[in-house]
Amino acid sequence: MRRAHLCVATLAALGALSGCGPAPIDPHRQVGANPYLPAIHQYLLPPMLVSKVVGWNGATPTVPAGVRIDALATGLKNPRSLYVLPNGDILVVESGGPKPPISRPKEYFMALLEKKSHSKADPPQRITLIRPAANGAPAFRSIFLDHLNSPFGVVLVGADLYVANTDGVMRYPYQTGQTRITAPGVQLTELPAGPINHHWTKSLTASPDGTKLYAGVGSNSNITENGIGAEKDRAAIWEIDRATGAHRLYATGLRNPNGLTFEPTTHALWAVVNERDELGPDLVPDYMTSVRDGGFYGWPWSYWGRHIDPRVMPRNPAMVAKAIMPDYSLSSHVAPLGMVFYTGSLLPAAYRGGAFVGEHGSWDRAPINGYKVVYIPFANGRPAGAAQDVVTGFASKNEARGRPVGLAIDNGGGLLIADDVGGTVWRMTSATVAR
Amino acid sequence: MQAENPRSTARLFGRPIHVMLVPVPIVCFVGTLLTDIAYWRTANMQWANFSAWLLTAGLLVSILVALTGVIDFFGDRRVRGIGAAWIHGTVNALVLALSIWNAFVHSRDGYTSVVPTGITLSAIVVALLLVSGWNGWSLVYRHRVGVRSGTSG
Repeated sequence: MRRAHLCVATLAALGALSGCGPAPIDPHRQVGANPYLPAIHQYLLPPMLVSKVVGWNGATPTVPAGVRIDALATGLKNPRSLYVLPNGDILVVESGGPKPPISRPKEYFMALLEKKSHSKADPPQRITLIRPAANGAPAFRSIFLDHLNSPFGVVLVGADLYVANTDGVMRYPYQTGQTRITAPGVQLTELPAGPINHHWTKSLTASPDGTKLYAGVGSNSNITENGIGAEKDRAAIWEIDRATGAHRLYATGLRNPNGLTFEPTTHALWAVVNERDELGPDLVPDYMTSVRDGGFYGWPWSYWGRHIDPRVMPRNPAMVAKAIMPDYSLSSHVAPLGMVFYTGSLLPAAYRGGAFVGEHGSWDRAPINGYKVVYIPFANGRPAGAAQDVVTGFASKNEARGRPVGLAIDNGGGLLIADDVGGTVWRMTSATVAR
Repeated sequence: MQAENPRSTARLFGRPIHVMLVPVPIVCFVGTLLTDIAYWRTANMQWANFSAWLLTAGLLVSILVALTGVIDFFGDRRVRGIGAAWIHGTVNALVLALSIWNAFVHSRDGYTSVVPTGITLSAIVVALLLVSGWNGWSLVYRHRVGVRSGTSG
């Protein structure tokens, strides 16, 4: 459905009671450390554009000169995130969220709408192992770990493999070369899930010294519409002690933090964060940021530092005063869900040292934004320059061939991209690499 | 011998359907104002959820209420000759339009789904319902619309 159509329908239905809001700006104005922030506009019916999934049908995403992209594995069911084991085996998390409860009439309609833009396949809630052959073609595939509960994050520390289910971090014994885990696993800690579980993806990483795990726990609502009580210990990054399972909130006010990664030169923790919806096509910018120990980043009371969100009551001036401005805006409604720092040497020099971000795209903007993988150059551990589109062609005006989610770097230095609705893992390499 | 009373065209076994159904949206829309006030005073989202459901239920039944009202209005020339019928119909059309608007406002997330626009619309709707209700009662109790002819008290 096009924005114009919706506007016409809305105007007709409401007898021209309301206008349709501001025209969307060029998203590039919001990329970088100081994004342009327009005034808040609250709609009667927010502009929405839900892409119809059409699939790739043999086509591939578009990449710039100097690199090439190939399908590493196809026919997967909702691959959401990726993890590369030390021996080069690739773990593909085939996962999906729980069915949301209907607590208002709106949620019934939203569920109908979102159905269209997601994978038709029932997510198998498992991890599939892919072992590429020497020439890069998939030689071997195995169901690595089955019967999980909406898994997302994976990290290996020594011989302990951690999987972040939506309701807890599990630990499994792993030996190099293993292609299937049958051990039952032990729960290291619970994570907030419960009957609502609005943002269900729990991103996971380990500290460089391996003593702590960090788990991203998204908010339980867009903007506290399920009550502030539902947000306990959410919109936060948990720090979990690997030995005891004890946890503390490392940072808070992060609406939906994903792609947790330690920057390789400074060893600072970075995340990409999905910001709030329904304040207009260019609010609120999604962002990537270094995450400070004890830092508060605004949600729900404010956005981009101290910009107050009028939808949250009671207000909290004390917390707003503490809100940290994020490091780097990716522009609004791009829905970043994956991030990886490029430490390999296969890709051209222009892609070394910075971060790739997988932008899944959102329903809450027309025209769409995101649906691509971008590269942000870094210098001295900080973003240095404008984000560049790298992998595009996932969506046209209102049709989606695929949607990028999690990213990883394989042992050969290729960039791996999980494409959930496309059911594919893409591998981006140098153009000089023969297939 | 009394004159024939104005007829209700949309009827079930001789009983006018419009007056059977109209209490449902009235109660729903009055309820919306009450739960909006409760939300405004407490900021407890559950009250705003009540409002959203009440509005939706009221609007769904209003489809039938409006339909039977329009049929009654156009079904008998004598109904159209009554001034109160015009006021009743016009004000109720306004109630419907405002309530549709209100349902969209209530579909927002958080505080601004109710305060200030939502609760204001809910209050205006209840005030308008008093006007349309008063005229609706006149139609039945003074002009005997839909009352069986030849009956006496």
